[in-house]
Amino acid sequence: MKLHRIHDWLWEIPREGGMKVPGRVYSDGPPAPDDPALRQVANVAHLPGIVKWSLAMPDIHWGYGFPIGGVAAVDPERGAVSPGGVGYDINCGVRVITTRLDAGELRPRLRQAVARLFHDVPTGVGSSHAIPRLSEAELDAVLRKGARWAVGRGFAASGDDLAHCEEGGALAGADPEAVSARARQRGADQLGTLGSGNHFLELDRVAEVYDERVAAAFGLCAGEVAVQIHSGSRGLGYQVCDESLAELAPTMARYGPDYAALPDPQLACAPVASPAGRRYLGAMQAAANFAWANRQVMTGLAVRALGEALGRSQRDLGARLLYDVCHNVAKLESHVVDGVPRRLLVHRKGATRAFGPGDPRVPEAYREVGQPVLVPGDMGRCSYVLVGTARAMQETFGSSCHGAGRLLSRHQALKAARGRSIDRELAERGIEVLSRGRKTLGEEMSEAYKDVSRVVGVMAAAGISRLVARLEPMGVIKG
Amino acid sequence: MRYVLPQPWEELPHTADVGLAASGATPEEALARLVLGLGAMLAGGGGVGPAAAGRPAPGEAAAGGEARIDVAGGADLAQTAVTLLREVLFRFATGREIPVAVEVLSFAPGRATADVTFGRWDPERNAEGADVKAVTYHAARFEREGGGWRAQVILDT
Repeated sequence: MKLHRIHDWLWEIPREGGMKVPGRVYSDGPPAPDDPALRQVANVAHLPGIVKWSLAMPDIHWGYGFPIGGVAAVDPERGAVSPGGVGYDINCGVRVITTRLDAGELRPRLRQAVARLFHDVPTGVGSSHAIPRLSEAELDAVLRKGARWAVGRGFAASGDDLAHCEEGGALAGADPEAVSARARQRGADQLGTLGSGNHFLELDRVAEVYDERVAAAFGLCAGEVAVQIHSGSRGLGYQVCDESLAELAPTMARYGPDYAALPDPQLACAPVASPAGRRYLGAMQAAANFAWANRQVMTGLAVRALGEALGRSQRDLGARLLYDVCHNVAKLESHVVDGVPRRLLVHRKGATRAFGPGDPRVPEAYREVGQPVLVPGDMGRCSYVLVGTARAMQETFGSSCHGAGRLLSRHQALKAARGRSIDRELAERGIEVLSRGRKTLGEEMSEAYKDVSRVVGVMAAAGISRLVARLEPMGVIKG
Repeated sequence: MRYVLPQPWEELPHTADVGLAASGATPEEALARLVLGLGAMLAGGGGVGPAAAGRPAPGEAAAGGEARIDVAGGADLAQTAVTLLREVLFRFATGREIPVAVEVLSFAPGRATADVTFGRWDPERNAEGADVKAVTYHAARFEREGGGWRAQVILDT
């Protein structure tokens, strides 16, 4: 794979063959030319209607069709929408809830707090029934209203949760009728559940503040406790993606030679404007809304559990949603391209929106400084809060990295964990962890992941996002 | 021919997820072993209990027993295998059913039919089972190899 250095943190894959645009890879050092994820960046550049670049963030790794960490914007009039450009876990995302609780106050009661969270927030394989199984009508409402549905039922940190959620916690174009009976069957009793794998709920300490002004705007104070929730659309989103790929893959060629010639079947796609494209978008947006409702329900459950474990009222706890971001989504957004405002469909798969200061789409409370960018790391090290920049708007369609990215396969991680007690190792460092699955801690240990500090460091050095604060885990629950 | 757990299968390394491979003298044997390999992953090394007897309790899905699974779709054997595995996974996702025996009745590009016996997932016995969320087309293969057939899929976990 040919790579041309733009600057220390950015490489270009020159346009060649069927690529419509060049690829651009943000990286901590020169990317390995034989990395299969780079081939995927080049493949994405073949997408009909793609604009400017096929992008990759520094946490890039091999995915299905699109690399994880991939961003691609297409012209919705003539371009394609690709379920592989969103991913299976539609609107997998993360939120951070700040509190006025000091980490020193939490420390003596940490174990109780973690145990209570583990009890109250269902986790793990088949986790379900956080709330009574939804009727068809209720599920329709969830798919339409997203986080608003959950807030309406009392699941909230405080009164401004929806204002501090990307898209206000719901995409307007959601079409519940495009969500199949089978997807509904998978999702109906999973609302308010964490799931498994790399999903987590953490009690974090704000360990360091890098930008006092932005941290103050975000309500982040060194030494205080924040809650982080990472989860997505559960079985409902997976089923929507499955069915969409099964529908689009065999029929691509009918849309013309640009579609027939796509180099990877997992880039299955359809014109945005086609019935199949509109159907996928409607279902995907509904699944995204389910994920927002999911995280919102867990917010309510977690804040209540934390308060009760510590004997603090919600008012004393001072919980407030800092922000909620998607990692896997495709959205219609306005961007300025070569000086011209354009409406684009932006696919972010394992990437985070990172809008800069002054953008009207950033919540009013943060508009002067820019949008919070939440980047979780791993359960043994740290996570970061960054802020979007004007440069991100110019260079990445307002996008940044989303996490650490895996270094070891699950098999390799389990092998490295053999004979070790990961929970005891974490406890010795003051981190209390509870997980449902016996293999989870081995699969998810720190060594299995890249160092998120280096990933966010690339984004900061490239001017795409600025560091605001570092969060360090105190308590973790996993599936 | 009916194949019963355990059958030979392999886990393939993949950074973010997990790969599953199986071989057979015939395509039907390879496919049966692929399905049971998925079952073995879901079971996590623990035994799989028998089908739940009698009617399910209110709100509880029926689990287990025999089912004829008939799928259409997929341009080639690999994609058709993915289609069948997706159907098996759907039953796990919604009813916590794990395949324990398979007889592939027919298998050709675009169509597959199999009689599958399912057992019931148990949270204690199968605690080390993988939380497989999707069967993907990514790197899916189903082809002749070394006088027999080799099949592989990547599973999203």
